[in-house]
Amino acid sequence: MDAPTGPERAFRVTDFRIEQWRAWAPGLDSTADWCAWHQAPVRLDDQGQQPDVGFLPAMQRRRLSRLARMAFHVAWPLADAHGPMPMVFASRHGETPRTLAILEDLGRGEPLSPTQFSLSVHNAIIGLWSIQRGDHSEMTALAAEGDGLEHAVLEACGLLAEGAPAVLLVIAEERPPALYQPFIDDVPFSYAVALLLTPGRDWTLQLASASGPRSEWPHALNLVRALCSDQPHLQHHWKKRQWTWSRNGA
Amino acid sequence: MSDLQLEIKHLIIEALGLEDMAAEDIAADLTLFGEGLGLDSVDALELGLAIQKRFGIKIDAEAKDTRKHFANVASLAAFVSSQQTA
Repeated sequence: MDAPTGPERAFRVTDFRIEQWRAWAPGLDSTADWCAWHQAPVRLDDQGQQPDVGFLPAMQRRRLSRLARMAFHVAWPLADAHGPMPMVFASRHGETPRTLAILEDLGRGEPLSPTQFSLSVHNAIIGLWSIQRGDHSEMTALAAEGDGLEHAVLEACGLLAEGAPAVLLVIAEERPPALYQPFIDDVPFSYAVALLLTPGRDWTLQLASASGPRSEWPHALNLVRALCSDQPHLQHHWKKRQWTWSRNGA
Repeated sequence: MSDLQLEIKHLIIEALGLEDMAAEDIAADLTLFGEGLGLDSVDALELGLAIQKRFGIKIDAEAKDTRKHFANVASLAAFVSSQQTA
């Protein structure tokens, strides 16, 4: 049943400041890479490339999946510069290659890999993050829909409102294995984005009940595009939710 | 170094994802768990599974000697040989 239509009030969800950001996708790493992509955004060729996590010793890298490496690669330098802080990790699809590997073993009646199994939960990446950084701050793993970015911002701003001086938000998606591709249409290529959020009023996020066209790129990549430019507004629709990002005083 | 020891070293590197390590880095008498190589309990399960699959032998996780067999590459090779000929 459709929700009632008509003009709806927009709720001011939260205000915050994006202190720093980093993003990675196959072939794109530096801010300059992303800003060049922003000028001419194209679907990147995802050949399974992995970002560098050479800042970790080999013994610590061995359990990091591609998705974990992406998350660590974007988040690590921000955490290094800032010290311990809560993290909100969001991924709609999580580690689809690992899930498939486990299911294939099950299907063949073979014993499951203890390593694969122990890392198959959605919060495994934040668990590894906490262990490897020695950071005991509150950490949350979310699996929301196409507007997982906005739900993660809401969660992060809740932590800021409780007094955290900064929150690290990481959103990461991996191109799924071929078997799942017909069912997953919102990951044009693998990407990870890290935002260092602090209290402030640089940005306002509003939520209204309204429908609209799906954005061409995943929300986190649209945000990166806005951060590469002076774009003052972003509007994202998912189902009946209309999220409006506004840059204040720009 | 026996061929079996070398095969076990390669199996450890492959099964446990030890990037940047070569068989030469793992001495036959290097302690595998805790000290030495620094493997942990999840590695123990993973390595046990890999050895059972590769060599077609059974390992009883409860048996009191199992810990001794997994002490280092030399003891593992001796254990695998004894199981294969048994």
